[in-house]
Amino acid sequence: MKMKRYAFYLKMVTSSLIRRRSRMFVALLAVAVGATILSGLITIYYDIPRQMGKEFRSYGANLIFIPSEDKSYMDADSLKKAVSYLSPDDIVGVTPYRYKTVKINEQPFMAAGADLAQAAKTSPFWYVSGRWPQKEGEALIGQEVADIIRLNAGSQFFITGMTANNKPFKRGFTVSGIVQTGGSEEAFIFMSLADFENMAGGDNAIDIAECSVSVSAAELDRVSKIINENVEGVTARPVKRISESEGTVLKKLQSLVYLVTVVILLLTMICVATTMMAAVAERRREIGLKKALGATNAAIVAEFIGEDVFLGIFGGLLGAAFGFVFAQAVSINVFARSITFQPLLAPITVFASIIITAAACFIPVRRAAEIDPAIVLRGE
Amino acid sequence: MFFRMVKGALLRQKAKMAMIAFTVALGASLATAMINVMLDAGDKVNRELKTYGANINVIPKGASLLNDIYGVGEGSGVSDKYLKESELGNIKTIFWAFNIVDFAPYLETPAKLKNGSAINLAGTWFSHHLELPTGESLDTGMISMKKWWDVQGQWLSDGDTDELMAGTAFARQNNLKIGDRIDIISVNKTYSFKVKGIFNSGSQEDLRAYVPLAKAQEMSGRNGLVSRVEVSALTTPDNELSRRAAQNPNSLSIKEWETWYCTAYVSAICYQIDEVMTDSVSKPIRQVAQSEGAILEKTELLMLLITILSLAGAALGISNLVTASVMERSSEIGLLKAMGAYDIHISLLVLTEIAITGMIGAAAGYFAGIGFAQIIGRSVFDSAINIKPAVIPLVAFLVFVVIIAGSIPAIRFLLALKPAEVLHGR
Amino acid sequence: MNLLELKNISKIYGDVKALQNINLSVGQGEWIAIMGPSGSGKTTMMNIIGCMDKPSIGSVILDGTDISKESSKKLTALRRDKIGLIFQQFHLINYLTALENVMAAQYYHSIQDEKEALEALSRVGLADRAKHLPSQLSGGEQQRVCIARALINYPMLILADEPTGNLDEANEAIVLDIFKSLHKEGSAIVVVTHDPEVAQESERTVILEHGKISKIKDNNKSEALC
Repeated sequence: MKMKRYAFYLKMVTSSLIRRRSRMFVALLAVAVGATILSGLITIYYDIPRQMGKEFRSYGANLIFIPSEDKSYMDADSLKKAVSYLSPDDIVGVTPYRYKTVKINEQPFMAAGADLAQAAKTSPFWYVSGRWPQKEGEALIGQEVADIIRLNAGSQFFITGMTANNKPFKRGFTVSGIVQTGGSEEAFIFMSLADFENMAGGDNAIDIAECSVSVSAAELDRVSKIINENVEGVTARPVKRISESEGTVLKKLQSLVYLVTVVILLLTMICVATTMMAAVAERRREIGLKKALGATNAAIVAEFIGEDVFLGIFGGLLGAAFGFVFAQAVSINVFARSITFQPLLAPITVFASIIITAAACFIPVRRAAEIDPAIVLRGE
Repeated sequence: MFFRMVKGALLRQKAKMAMIAFTVALGASLATAMINVMLDAGDKVNRELKTYGANINVIPKGASLLNDIYGVGEGSGVSDKYLKESELGNIKTIFWAFNIVDFAPYLETPAKLKNGSAINLAGTWFSHHLELPTGESLDTGMISMKKWWDVQGQWLSDGDTDELMAGTAFARQNNLKIGDRIDIISVNKTYSFKVKGIFNSGSQEDLRAYVPLAKAQEMSGRNGLVSRVEVSALTTPDNELSRRAAQNPNSLSIKEWETWYCTAYVSAICYQIDEVMTDSVSKPIRQVAQSEGAILEKTELLMLLITILSLAGAALGISNLVTASVMERSSEIGLLKAMGAYDIHISLLVLTEIAITGMIGAAAGYFAGIGFAQIIGRSVFDSAINIKPAVIPLVAFLVFVVIIAGSIPAIRFLLALKPAEVLHGR
Repeated sequence: MNLLELKNISKIYGDVKALQNINLSVGQGEWIAIMGPSGSGKTTMMNIIGCMDKPSIGSVILDGTDISKESSKKLTALRRDKIGLIFQQFHLINYLTALENVMAAQYYHSIQDEKEALEALSRVGLADRAKHLPSQLSGGEQQRVCIARALINYPMLILADEPTGNLDEANEAIVLDIFKSLHKEGSAIVVVTHDPEVAQESERTVILEHGKISKIKDNNKSEALC
């Protein structure tokens, strides 16, 4: 029975791979390591802005909503509308604040009502000794307030002042914790929005809202503009210091990883290439024999390329899998977050592996094929 | 004879040995570059993070902090406690002086407009040249501290006497454009200023106007005084020790205290600033200090993991090639065995050859690696990477281990060969 | 017309004259042995006859084509079509089975035919070893695979380099028997050898010395001087 030409070609290629297992394993390992590094680093490179961006949110709010110039406060609905322009996935936290000048022991202080669960997200840098308010009638006071009126966690104090309707009020609070920030917040008394409304009246009126969003500075500017045009009564202002600096630092970090990736990839490719070259050098005699049997240079090159395509496919697949595992491990160790698998990366890795292994062999095989078979067969 | 054989192998198999040396050089250069970059990346990123502005605020003891951020300024008026301008240079003389990147003093000046409305006016250094008691000199001030500001027109210089810089909100409220003049009354005297620049800081500072420090001192009659100082310092991320120290430095044991004092924790730097400035209290601005710590830690960890990956890659690449090239010599080694060589002789011969080749490669790789590190440093951070000599033994050790580890399986394979089989075909 | 004609060829490597003014012709179906001490130019001559090398001077005409003027690509094609090579070290591809080794020669030549390859193997008495790898075969068996491979494309000329050099007497006899039957069927054979017994089997023995033909011995008749 006659066999098709390509069938025997495939048989030769696969026989070479299978029956020379130990040697091929070395080459496969080299390709797989290269592919692992390739896919792992590219995954990390693409994931860094997202992961680090989240990390940068520890700087706190990068967007604030304030009432439009002609108004003294925003209502909760327009704030909600403004927030709806941001993608919910990007929002780390939105904290509405209300402020009022009040008195404790006849000394003036600033009381702030806030969504405290959100405040913990938008201002992760606050250092609270004691704990955050959890019950009605609990308040978080700034270090400065605590120093002036000598309060500790657990102390009771009374706040007096005038409600929105100009009626006097007096309410007792318990200090749940003392907050240190190194900034002006240390002069404030924080309480839940509900407590604040019970005390000072006025529903749904918000003085300012802090918002922490993990997007780039440019995107923040763009969204702010849209919000300012479309939502009445609310002005969105990016906090330049945070958003701009984040952009600068992130860019540097990404270009650092980029350069490092390029250097590593370059060196890895050369390593893979030298291993493949060594593998070819080892088989010079075989090449000479095939030539003596009448193989054309093209046939010899085709056989090697065929083997390399197989090596590239298997090595690339292994590498894509290990690379993902590696990137996942890095992400979990560094950022405590998992990464999403980029399906496109698998074919790219396999393709790149094939190209690199084939290219690495092409030149030495070409050179070996040019050699006089006589010299190879005779000279051991 | 042994050395003649080694020499013969090295010189007569030039191409093969060159390839091993080349691969080892690549691996070593990768290791050198990555370790150096990794060790320096923290420092470099830390400097980049300085664009977030000051992380330490120095105020007089007993004075209240800042006007509040949202401009509802009651409860913290301009206090009557001050720091001495003449002592500012001391900040650059503390134990961690090298880590102080920039600082700028501020003097809040009571001022109002002709129509009687109060304004926020402060004096500061823009780019002040300072001669230190140590003989060094530095230029510091707002221009380098507030890099993120968007300035139209120009920054002030410290010598300007009748010009000011206005925030965007301040300019809008008073209908000011660049080049306009504004009259400001301070302590019953009227001063006329020309607007030299308008800045957009995206924060509450936009409500302010700034003049040079000397001018503010003259206007408010507080010569040689400043009301607060913002300091930007390179710090080490906080840990348990520094948190305890920040609460109360006296709670530490002597040994702990020394460790804390000699580490660039933000609390230690604050403590050292308090030592050199009379009646001052330094507070870390947690928003900046805390976040910097978090980001630095992540960056260093990330670099560490990437370095480990690249080292593993380089190691496998080298040992792979070494394995391949040793296995290739099966017939030669079969012959040696047939001639009566002991296993130990063969192993030593192969190892010596590979080790000599590898070390030559590693030396070349080390210098190439320094080059790579500098390329990375230059193109990412615009500054040279600090080359640490400690990397040399580390790389040498790694290369040595990798070469030996790569040769051993191959040598075991060769020793298991029967000479007869090798010599009679495969 | 002679199958192969070497006309006044010389091969010079630098200052060394490996071959000088060689004239030799091999007729269709003729069996020739080339003998000579080491360094006498046997290998060079074999390479030139096998289309693996070209002479510096002179012309080589193989089946009517002057190979000394052809490109290396054309030489490869000529070798593939007209010559079957047998080596002292057998040179089998170690990851292919005996059968596949024979088929590899078909593959480079034209179309591979497993049945034909099996026939070639049974001809050298190895039908039952077809699925074995070279490492599982004895030296004699490997040499027989090598011969089967050389025969598979019906070459006009079989060129054997020390075919019995690595074999014991029993295997040598088997190989010589195969050669004899090939000769009977009309194949031209050129054997390079050290072994006078092997040379004795041929029709003519060419003796090389210092790159020159010193003697051509007609094995059926008396000696003739060159």
